[in-house]
Order: sequence, then structure tokens, then C-alpha cells
Amino acid sequence: MCLQEAYVGEYASGKSENAINRALSLVGGGQPVTLVDLDLVEPFYTLRPLRDELSAKGLDVIAWQTRETLGLGEAGSILLPQARWALKREGHVILDVGYGVHGTRSFNLLEGYGESGLQVLAVVNAARPMTASVPDIVDYLRSFEHIDGLINNSHLGDDTDLDIIHRGVEIVSEVSRILGVPVAATSVDERFRDSFGDCDQRGNPVRFLHRYMPHAFW
Amino acid sequence: MIESPIKDEQKVFVTGNEVIAWAALAAEADIMYGYPITPQNEIMHYWTRLAPKYGKKFLQTEDELSAGFTTLGGILAGRKAFSATAGPGTILFQESISMAEMMRIPMVVVVQQRGGPSTATVIYSQQEVNMVTFGGNGEGWRVVYSTSTHQELYDYTIKAFNTAWKYRFPTFILGDGYQAKMRESLVMYKPSARGIELVKPYTVLGGPGVPGRDRLAVHLRNTFSVEEELYEAVMPAQEEYEQMAVEVVEHDSQHTEGAEIIIIAHGVVSRAAIAAMNRLRNKGIKAGYFRPITLRPFPEQELRKAAGHCSNFLLVESALGQLARLVKEALFNVPVERFDTIYKPGVGITAEELVEAIEKNRKVEH
Repeated sequence: MCLQEAYVGEYASGKSENAINRALSLVGGGQPVTLVDLDLVEPFYTLRPLRDELSAKGLDVIAWQTRETLGLGEAGSILLPQARWALKREGHVILDVGYGVHGTRSFNLLEGYGESGLQVLAVVNAARPMTASVPDIVDYLRSFEHIDGLINNSHLGDDTDLDIIHRGVEIVSEVSRILGVPVAATSVDERFRDSFGDCDQRGNPVRFLHRYMPHAFW
Repeated sequence: MIESPIKDEQKVFVTGNEVIAWAALAAEADIMYGYPITPQNEIMHYWTRLAPKYGKKFLQTEDELSAGFTTLGGILAGRKAFSATAGPGTILFQESISMAEMMRIPMVVVVQQRGGPSTATVIYSQQEVNMVTFGGNGEGWRVVYSTSTHQELYDYTIKAFNTAWKYRFPTFILGDGYQAKMRESLVMYKPSARGIELVKPYTVLGGPGVPGRDRLAVHLRNTFSVEEELYEAVMPAQEEYEQMAVEVVEHDSQHTEGAEIIIIAHGVVSRAAIAAMNRLRNKGIKAGYFRPITLRPFPEQELRKAAGHCSNFLLVESALGQLARLVKEALFNVPVERFDTIYKPGVGITAEELVEAIEKNRKVEH
């Protein structure tokens, strides 16, 4: 069974990190894995610096090369032609969707989106001030047209501790109850591997993250 | 009464642009005027998401000329107003900033530097130092805080409003695209909880009563009929700028005493400078570091003092000598043994390249 997943959510919630790690976890399972940078505002500053590194690890990465295009910033950017056909590819397809709610409006640019089984997963970091409380997160997620699952990605970067992760689990689980959308996973920096089993305190599966984004130089 | 957005101290994970929006709320700013430009857009995005919740306002203007002058208008009406811009936007702001210098209007502008000249690139450089420090037609009566971390973006944004309203010179937060987009943790706090008293804004124009009958008329001038009249206006303002300079100037330095080399950097590049200094010191190389926090007024005396301990410098910046110009001016007439530079306009600088450059130079010497 091949997966088609889109990682969406608040700006800087951890979409790229979760999408990269998810895609890499699928490599070696006998199916090709495609990772697509679907950020039409700042495509050059998310997956771009990591493209070669990720390709070397066996991912088929669909992202602009810097010199192939122009950085238009606030004026938006052009969809990479291969991205338009990404959902028609064989194997697993993971979409990294930039820029919050507006980013998800780019789904209609993808051929076959309507009939695809694309799972839309919203990444939530409860340590982000705009999504720090249950009502704020619920309000924010209701602005999305459709969400299939939640990823609790609560952390403070280098200053993350177990307390913020556990607090995130409680907050996101409550959001899940209110919205009727399941928690697909809690994602945790791999340095906390010893503190977690397969599940968090609410029984949600735990995914361990290797942090690639700090290499993106910002 | 709308409750304060920031209650207890709170550790959060944020981008730099968001920090500015939250810090402006903490500083009790009333309104932001602005025109979109990367890499500062999210300051506007987050301010407009937060503003309605806390009774604050936002006006998107038709361009940066208008953003600058509407900011001045808001301030004259007694509101704590601010704006944010970058690159070509900073060029268009110069006219209103010059007016703020001449009329002594407490304007606060956040500049997230992008590449130049012209439209150039949308994210990073340190090429707006010239323009932010001395960009207008005048004498550079500005206060410029060059930040290097998210915590500093927060602390100095609060401070910038106080400096501007206390001394009435336009005040800048000089960040850059990396700081704008970068993600790291921040402790948000209420200024009063840290003993910081916010300077209250006051109405300059349009106060109650009839001017000349109920109160003195306000006559702000940026135009003078004759040169002598201008001279008489400029000289006292210059004196006040110099008096203020002693009170607001800030720098950071480490291990300059006994150093064999001092790395000079500002803004986000100073993070690489500190990391390089620490790595070199671990290898037994006596490296020090000096960073101007205020680029205007410049910590001249403090740098000259450091040069008294060690006159061997490596200056690094993501521009072609804009910081170097300020540094050389400050070091005028001080004997300098060696002044190496690494200029990388538009490009980030890492600790590794600084360590490598210093070790290479030492090998050549020995």
C-alpha cells in the first residue's frame, strides 16, 4: 500500500522536518519515495539546501535548484512542472506544503488531487505562541478545508525538554477530541529516544526525528 | 480594558519576524503602518493576526514612502506607531526618516536586511548598514540597534520604543533575512515584570483646545528660509544627539584584553565570531571579539580601548566594507598593526571559515 501524505500547518510548525523524516523512513521498503517541495512562496529556503543530501539517501526530491529559477519572494513562485504530476507517481509521495492555510490552496494545482487518497496531516507545535492553547489551535485548524490527522510536534528547538513534549501531547489530544480528527503521531527529536517507547502517554504512535533543517542555514 | 497579550514569562519557539510582532505588543505599540516586502512580511502577517485581539491597528499603505509618512502622522497624533521594511523599501523610507530627524519624531522602524543593490535577493545580507546609519540628507541622527538573536530582537524592540520616545530620534532595529526566518526559542516577558518602565507616548499635533488661545501652538519645521537659520537649528540638535549618544551606545566584547587577534562583527555574523573565538581559544589561540550593538551612535571609545590591548583585527561582514567604514572611522589615528577582512555580500559566514582564515594567517606569520 503506497502512501500519499501532505504535511501542512502553521508557519514554522515543523512541516519540512516531519515530511523529510517521514519520506526517509519509507526508503528501502521496496517502493520509490518522492518528496515534493510545494512551497510556492519561499521554495528556495526549505528543501533546496538539502536536496542533494536527501537524494543521496534514496529520495526522489522534487524541488527547484537555485539557479533554475528566480527568487520572487512575496510575488510568489512558479510551480515546478514535475510537482504538478507528483500524485501520479508510483510509490510513496510526501508533500511538504509551505505557508499555512494559503499553502493548502495550491492542492488544486496537482493533477489527480480530487480522486487521490491524499492524507492531509496538520503539524502542530504547542510551543509556538500562536498555537499555544487548545482554543487557538482549534480556531487555526478550522481555517483549513480538510485535515485527516494531527501531528504533535511540540518542541523548543535546542531548548526542548520532556515537559514541553508531554504538554503538547495533552493539548493536541484535546484538540483531536474537539475536532474529531485523530492524532497520527507525536514526533520527537531522536535525542529523546530513551524517554519514549512506541507510544506517547496518550497512546499515540511516536516518530523520532533526525533534525535536517538546521543545515538549511537559517 | 483588553488584557495584556503577555502575562507570565513564557518560553516559546518562534521565527524572528514573529518576535518583532510580539515585542511591539509588549512595548504597547498602538499601530503598525507598512507595505509588504520580503523578508519582513511575517512581521505584518503576525501583527495583523494579533492586532484585532488586543485593540491594535494596522494600515497597509500604497508604498513605503506612504508607510514612512503615515507612521510619522500616527506618532504626531500621539500613537506609538512603527513600521518594518527591507532593501528597496528602506530606500523609499529615507525621506520620512530624514523628516523624523529634523522634526525629532520618535519613529521606530524594523529593517530586515536583504541583498542589494536594487531588488537583488529577498532574504539575506548586511548591505543596509550605510543606508540605515547615514542614509538621509543630513547627519545621521539615528539610533541603530543591530541584533543577533531572537532574544535580542525582543529586548531591543522594546528598548527601541523607549529610546525613540525618550530622545526623539528615529530608532531602528537592524536585523536581516536570516534573523527574520530563523527559528529558535525566546523568553517573552512583560516589560514591567523586569522593571522596564515604558515611556508613555504623547500627542504632538491635534491636542485639545484652540492653539494660541487654550495652549501654545505647535510649530514643527523641516524647512528653513535661510542657511543661518538652518545652522541655528542643526547645531543644538547635534549637541543633543551627542549627549544622548553617551547614554544609548552599546557594545559587546569578550577576551579583548591579552588577545592576539580581535574578530569584529555585527548582527547575526557575530554569532559566528563568538563561536570561532571559542574554538580558537580551545586550541590555545588567544582570540577576542568585539561587536558594536549600536551602529549609530558607534561605540567608538570602547573600540579604541580594545585596540589599546590588541591592534590585530579580523573584520567580517556580509557586505563589502559597510561595517568596516564605521570601524575605520572610529579607529582614526589609532595605530593598527593588522586589519584583515572577510567580505561576503549577501552570503552567510560560518565559524569554520573564520577559524580557518585565522589559522592560515598564523601559519604564514610563523
